[in-house]
Amino acid sequence: MQLTINDKSVELTVDPSMPLLWVIRDVLNMTGTKYGCGIAACGACTVLVNGRATRSCVTPVESVSGAKITTIEYLGTPEKPHPLQAAWIQEQVPQCGYCQSGMLLAAVDLLTRKPKPTDADIDEAMSNICRCGTYQRVKAAIHTAAKERA
Amino acid sequence: MKRRTMILSTLGVAGALIVGWGALPARSRLGSPDNFLTGDGAISLNGWIQIAPDGSVGLAMNKSEMGQGIFNALMMLVAEELNAPMASIYLHQAAYDGIYGNVALFMGALPLHPVVNDGEKPFIMKSSEWLVGKVARELGINATGGSTSVADSWLNLRYAAATAKASLLMAASKQWNVPAKDLQVINGKIIGPGGKSAHFGDFAKEAAALTPNEVALKDRKEWEVIGRDTKRVDIPSKTDGSAIFGIDIRLPNMLYATIVQAPMMGGSIKELDTNQNVPGLLKIVPLKSYAGSANGFAVVGKTTWDAMQGSKQVKVQWAERKDGAINTDQILKTLQENIKKDNGFTFYKTGDTTEAEKKARKVIEASYSAPYLAHATLEPMNCTVQIKDGQVDVWVPTQIPGLARALAAKIANAPVAKVNLHVTLLGGGFGRRLELDFVSQAVQVAMTTDGRPVQLTWSREQDMANDFYRPMQATQLKASLNEKGQVDSLRIVSAGDAITPRWMERVSIPLAGPIDAPDKTASEGLFDFPYAFTNQHISHIPTHMGVPIGYWRSVGHSQNAFFLESFMDELAYATKQDPLAFRESLLTDAPRYLAVLQLAAKKANWGGPLPSGHARGIALHESFGSIVAEVVEASIQNGKPQVHRVVCAIDCGTVINPNTVAQQIQSSVNFGLTAALYGKIDIKDGVVQQTNFNNYPILSMSESPQVETWIVPSTRAPAGVGEPGVPPVAPALSNALFALTGNRIRKLPLLA
Repeated sequence: MQLTINDKSVELTVDPSMPLLWVIRDVLNMTGTKYGCGIAACGACTVLVNGRATRSCVTPVESVSGAKITTIEYLGTPEKPHPLQAAWIQEQVPQCGYCQSGMLLAAVDLLTRKPKPTDADIDEAMSNICRCGTYQRVKAAIHTAAKERA
Repeated sequence: MKRRTMILSTLGVAGALIVGWGALPARSRLGSPDNFLTGDGAISLNGWIQIAPDGSVGLAMNKSEMGQGIFNALMMLVAEELNAPMASIYLHQAAYDGIYGNVALFMGALPLHPVVNDGEKPFIMKSSEWLVGKVARELGINATGGSTSVADSWLNLRYAAATAKASLLMAASKQWNVPAKDLQVINGKIIGPGGKSAHFGDFAKEAAALTPNEVALKDRKEWEVIGRDTKRVDIPSKTDGSAIFGIDIRLPNMLYATIVQAPMMGGSIKELDTNQNVPGLLKIVPLKSYAGSANGFAVVGKTTWDAMQGSKQVKVQWAERKDGAINTDQILKTLQENIKKDNGFTFYKTGDTTEAEKKARKVIEASYSAPYLAHATLEPMNCTVQIKDGQVDVWVPTQIPGLARALAAKIANAPVAKVNLHVTLLGGGFGRRLELDFVSQAVQVAMTTDGRPVQLTWSREQDMANDFYRPMQATQLKASLNEKGQVDSLRIVSAGDAITPRWMERVSIPLAGPIDAPDKTASEGLFDFPYAFTNQHISHIPTHMGVPIGYWRSVGHSQNAFFLESFMDELAYATKQDPLAFRESLLTDAPRYLAVLQLAAKKANWGGPLPSGHARGIALHESFGSIVAEVVEASIQNGKPQVHRVVCAIDCGTVINPNTVAQQIQSSVNFGLTAALYGKIDIKDGVVQQTNFNNYPILSMSESPQVETWIVPSTRAPAGVGEPGVPPVAPALSNALFALTGNRIRKLPLLA
C-alpha cells in the first residue's frame, strides 16, 4: 500500500484495516501523534487528511491511501514555525503537552475554514480533550494566530 | 478505634524508623560531585550543578515534568543564584542518591493545623517536624507530588547554585590573581577588572577542588529571575511533536505489548492457555500481581495495534473476587452507616462540642458524599523495558523513579545497580503515576522477550477500569447555634478508606506497618480549617472497602473542601448572613485567609450587579501550604449549569514564575469543574461501569470558563501551586447553583 505523508511517499505492507494512528506511530515511528482513547473521543490522534482534521485512531489506513496526510512533525520548522505554533509559544499554552499535537492540527483546520474565528466558532470546532485544562490559552492562541495572519 | 492524640501518633509512625543516624542538616543535601557523574566532559561542583566545557550549566533534575512547569521553575532558581541565563542551563536526570529525596512531601504529611501552628510552634510540634524531616532524609525517596517540588528545592537548590558560583569565583580569583571581591558574574560570565571576561568552563576544574568558606544566598531585593514571568523551556518541543513521553520511546527491534486485567475488580485468572494461537500475537504472558496491580495477562505483538486487537481474541476464564462482588451503591450505604455509629480517629478538637450541642438553641446537620474518581491522564499507563546481558533498562513516565527502580530490580531478580531508570515526560500525572503496577507488568513481559525491548501500553478501557481511584467518602457535618443565634460548634465525622497506608504497602515504603497510622489525607481540609468556631471536633473513620484507592490531584482536600465550604454556605443562609460576610466574621484571627478571601471577592465584584439568570458562589480553602479563594459565576442554560467566569485569589508564598501560577490555576479550575460536574466511577457487580471518555466525560473547550488569577504578594517560603486551585472549585460552583435555584446539592458530581 502506498501512503503520502508529510509530502513523502511511503510503501507499506500492513493490514489495510490498521488505523492510521498505529501506522504512523508503530510502523513509521513518528511519535508526535498520540494515542488517547481509541474511539475518536479525545482528539489526541488528530492529523490532517487533505487539510482536514481527522481522528487517526479510527481511520483505517486503506481509506487514506492516496490522500495527503500531514502530522505535527511537518507543521513547521524551528526556523519557520507555523503561526499557530508561534502563538502556542507566545501564549504559553501547553502543560503536560500530550494533547497538543492534536489540538494544534484541529486549530489549523479551523483557521483554514475560518481565518477569523469567533469564540463560538472555536468552541464549536475544537472538541479535543485536554486533561490539564489548557482551553483558555488554546483559545487565546488561536485568536493571536488569526491576527498574525491577517 | 481508641482516640489518640495526633502528635503521639505522628511520633509513633516515625519512631519505628530511628536508626541511630545523626540529624542530617539541610546543607548536606548539597551532595558531592560523585553524585552527579555524567561522563560527558562536564565537571560537577556538587550533587546538583555541573559545568560543561563551553560554560553551560548542568542541573541534576530530580523532579518529574507532568505539566506543572517544574523543569522551568527549578532552572529559574539556579539561573538566579548563578547569574546564568536560562538558555545556558541544561538538564540531566538526577541519579538515585538520598540527596534527591523529597523531604517536603513527608513534612506535608504531618497533621499540623496551619492557623494554630503558624508562627512560634510548641516544642512538641517542632520536635515532630524535626523527626519527620530526619526520617524523610533517611529514606531519601525521590517523589514528585503533593505540590512540594518548589518547596523541597527552594533552599537546597539555591544553596547548591550559590555554592557553585562561590567556588567558580574563588577559582577565577586564583587564576587571574585578582581579589574575589573585584569579580562579578554577569549573564553567565565572570567579569574581572578592566572588563576581563571568561565563561564558567574556564574555571570549573579548579573550582571543583575548592570549598568556599561562606556561601550567602541573594537577598530577595537582588532577584532578577525569581518572581518574573518566564517562558517555559519545555513548551517549544510540545508544539512540534518532538517532546518524548513514555509512550514515544522507540528502540531498535522493539516489541509492543498490552494488557488484559480481570474484568471483575479483585478477580483473577482461572484458566488461560498461553499456547493458544491468536493472529497478530507473538506471546501471551500471565502476570503476577506486584505493587497492587490487578491480576491478568499481557500479550505481545509487532505493533500496539496488533497487541490490542489480539488481546480481545484471547480465550480466558476468570475467577471471581473471593470476598464477593463490589458495588459502589452498597459502599456508600456502609460509609453512611459508619458515620452514624462512631467518631473514629480525632484529628482536631477544641472546646467542648458535646456540651455546645446540648445547650444549642438549634442544631443544623447535613450529610454529604463524594464518589470514586479516576485520574484519566491523557497518556495511558505505559512502560518500556529491556533486559539484556544482566542489565535492566526501564523507560517510564513516573512520579517515583527510585521506588520504580527498586521494584524493577526485585522483579527481574537483578542487583539494583544493574537497573537504569529513565524518566520520560509524563502525559499527565495527577497522582496516578505515583503507582508502580504498570512498571511491574512491563518488567515481567520483558523477562520473556529474550533481550528484545518491549513497550507495554494500556488501552484507555484498561486504564479506566484499573485505576487507584480517589476514595469514596461520606461526611456528616453538624453545627450548633447558641442563644444569640451564632454558630458556636462544628462537628465533622467522615468515613472512607485511608490512602497512605495502602500506597506505602504497594510501593514498598518501609513505613507501612501492621496497624495503619492515622492518615492525614483522609481528614485534610476538614480538621485544619481557619474558621474560629469555639468548639470543634473533627474526626475520620478509616474503612476497608476493597476498591484500589490512591492519591488524586489535591487528595483529601478535593472532596473535603466541597463538604466544608458547601456547609459553610448552608450556615450563612441559616443564620441569614451573606456567605462572604459570614466567613469574614470567622477569620479575624486568620489574616492571610481573610486577605485572600477579600481579594477574590473584590476582583469578582461580589455583591455587584450580574446579568439576569447569573449568580455567584464563593469558597475558600487552604491546601499544600497555599490559600485559595474562588468566586464562580454561573447560570443554567438548557437545564445545565454553565460556568462563565472563575475569579481566583492565591497566597502561595514567594512566587517563582507568575505565569506558571496563572497556568496552574486555569488547569485546576478546569480539572475541578470536570470532577464537580461529571466525575464519578460506579462499580456494579464488581465491574467498573465507565470505560472511556464517552462515559467518563472531561470538561470541553465550550464548557470552560474565563479564569482570572490574582496573586497575593508574599515573602514567605514558596508553597504548593499544582493542586491548591482544585478544592474550592466544586463548592464555589455548588454555592452559585444554590444561589440560582435554592436547591442544595450535597452529593458529587453535581450533575449525577
